[in-house]
Amino acid sequence: MQKAQNKLAIMACHSKISKFVYPGPGKPLDIRQVDGQYEVFTLVEKTVKQNLMKILTTETSTVYTESLLAGTIAMALCYIARILRTKTPGLKINSRILTVTGSGDSASQYMNYMNVFFTAQKQNVVIDVCALDQHLSLLQQGCDITNGLYLRIPQIQGLLQYLLWVFLPEPPVRQKLVLPPPVKVDYRAACFCHRELIDVGYVCSVCLSIFCKFSPICTTCHTVFKIPGPLTVKSKKKKIKL
Amino acid sequence: MADNGIGTSHQANTALIQASNLECKNLYDYLRTRPSTLLDRLYNHPAICLAVYRELPEIARQYVIRILFVEQPVPQAVVASWCHQSYSKEHTHVCQVLSDLFVWHEAPIPGGLPGWILNSTFKRNLKTALLGGGKPWSMSSALEADNKARDVSFLDGYSAERWECVLHYMVGSQQQEGISADAVRILLHAGLMKRDEDDGSPVITRQGFQFLLLDRQAQVWHFLLQYLDTVEQRGLDLGECLTFLFQLSFSTLGKDYSTEGMSQGLLIFLQHLREFGLVYQRKRKAGRFYPTRLALNITCSQNKGVPVLEEDAPKGYIIVETNYRVYAYTDSNLQVALLGLFTELLYRFPNVVVGIITRESVRQALRGGITSEQIIGYLKQHIHSQMLSGDNKNALPPTVLDQIKLWELERNRLIYSEGVLYSQFLSQADFNALKQYAQQTGCLIWSNKEKRTMVVNKTGHDDRKKLEIEECVKIYPNIYNRNLPNEIWCDDADHEHCIEAFQRFCPRHFIIDMMFVKSTTWPVCQF
Repeated sequence: MQKAQNKLAIMACHSKISKFVYPGPGKPLDIRQVDGQYEVFTLVEKTVKQNLMKILTTETSTVYTESLLAGTIAMALCYIARILRTKTPGLKINSRILTVTGSGDSASQYMNYMNVFFTAQKQNVVIDVCALDQHLSLLQQGCDITNGLYLRIPQIQGLLQYLLWVFLPEPPVRQKLVLPPPVKVDYRAACFCHRELIDVGYVCSVCLSIFCKFSPICTTCHTVFKIPGPLTVKSKKKKIKL
Repeated sequence: MADNGIGTSHQANTALIQASNLECKNLYDYLRTRPSTLLDRLYNHPAICLAVYRELPEIARQYVIRILFVEQPVPQAVVASWCHQSYSKEHTHVCQVLSDLFVWHEAPIPGGLPGWILNSTFKRNLKTALLGGGKPWSMSSALEADNKARDVSFLDGYSAERWECVLHYMVGSQQQEGISADAVRILLHAGLMKRDEDDGSPVITRQGFQFLLLDRQAQVWHFLLQYLDTVEQRGLDLGECLTFLFQLSFSTLGKDYSTEGMSQGLLIFLQHLREFGLVYQRKRKAGRFYPTRLALNITCSQNKGVPVLEEDAPKGYIIVETNYRVYAYTDSNLQVALLGLFTELLYRFPNVVVGIITRESVRQALRGGITSEQIIGYLKQHIHSQMLSGDNKNALPPTVLDQIKLWELERNRLIYSEGVLYSQFLSQADFNALKQYAQQTGCLIWSNKEKRTMVVNKTGHDDRKKLEIEECVKIYPNIYNRNLPNEIWCDDADHEHCIEAFQRFCPRHFIIDMMFVKSTTWPVCQF
């Protein structure tokens, strides 16, 4: 919308699948100018509506599980990687991912999220998150890692204004604009045993896995630890002797 | 003790150098010079609104999109608060751009504060372009499938061939068919070619060479601007043509569009575009046309360094080595001729040309009015993909680039500055006093004690006049200064006093062109 060179891809996901919505599978629709809207916009709009409809109607299960958000972001990164590979040499592409989600935080995908975020950081992809419903601390970490913006929409009526204001400008322009101040990022990690966010925990000294309770054998790398005894008080005595 | 070049008027300097250079306007510069009535008419078309929106500076785009859905004026202070404090200069510039283009205008909000409101036509039509809900564009009526549909690669080949035809004509190579008289007229009008004194045949000018060194999109855009200048003489409607052009630029490559419902003027315009390769039509009366890559996004030309994602640009063919050797893998006479503008060609083989960049060859190009920027731009644009494959930022050897720039700087050793010469001072004291004054005010450009001459700049000259008048007024209370730099008034009786004062305080050469205007009550001494 901002520049003729910009390209767009949209994906959707729920608890079962994540799918490309635009550009959709198969041939693009043959769109003719009908109501004065720019053809390409019409094409995007029609394709998105059609494919979203398809996804929503085929989804029948009533079992509630978490949305496969991490997987979808991974797919988006793959898409970006493919474009980067096929581009003409010498060309610079600034890519970014905007996640708009209404689902809750899912610590069960903690590892997937972190992998995705650090991959994005390595590839210089900015991840923005627009949370519609709940506060998402994991995704907020992701934004912080990749220099993206995290915003929880206070009023859903103002969604369009927020999207246009905060998420439309590209990262280089953002520093010139006054945007909502960054809130303190909650950098709590999820433990590997129960997938819960913890403040204080145990970290395996070999593989850096995080646990909320002490376990003698690390479940990730199978290192055996000694059971910690009570802390010894030895230094004081020595001092007196000397 | 001569003081050399204290005050330099850099602007005059650059103006002198660039006077003969090719002037490339972007869409903003072009539209700004159009009358507001035309702009208003243009904004009636969603395509133009979208094009203008996309060409705005980034912050301006942000402002527009934010107030696009606001139905009342927005206080200026609020708009200013959207931009970061440290970029306030950019903010004022952006506001100026938006006002210049009549995208928004000032409107008071109920509290009495000044506010901005978007031009209503612009707002409505930009919304239409983004969201739909308007009338269809003129060329969009439905067509049955073309049984001889053309694919993208065919269109690319076609447009490149047509455009190169024009370029070949400009350099006068005979290997292609000629171009129409119309196109020649545009080239002449644009100053890219001029009639030879001897036989009246068009020959390329220095601007023409600069034009050839531009990248293709910039070439098309520049050419079209010149074409649009002549459009009204041809009896075509400028607004209509511009609208069509922008609709074309927002069409999809490889799709066919209908000529149905187009006016006679537009059909002529379409034929011209066809000649330059902007659209493809199988037959003049085919009833459908295909836009080519040249027509798409014609306005993006000034976004330098943002190449289009697709395989748009023709393949690069130039390799530059650090020893100033240039290898060009091409068999086109045009490209060889262009390269020959600033390199010394050494060998020529069927598929490759070898040249060397020397001081002489570059200086010759510079003498021809080509700038180092243009040379470097051309090399960058046509660089061989092999040189880009490494992940380094400088695909071209930096030594070569720097050297080319240095060779250009070599030619700009003189600095031009406008000034006034003061000479024939009666005494050394007068000279010293004035020199000191000029030095204090910083307007002295050059002075020579022995010859009692000095050069001061223009503002200093005006200041000095004022100073002298003040002196006169101090000594002769009957003289009134009206605060005009070159006018004093005095009582009738003191007319002689006035002259005396001037004779005493002003250098002789200055008095000579003093003029007295006698009025009934207050005689005015004007000088």
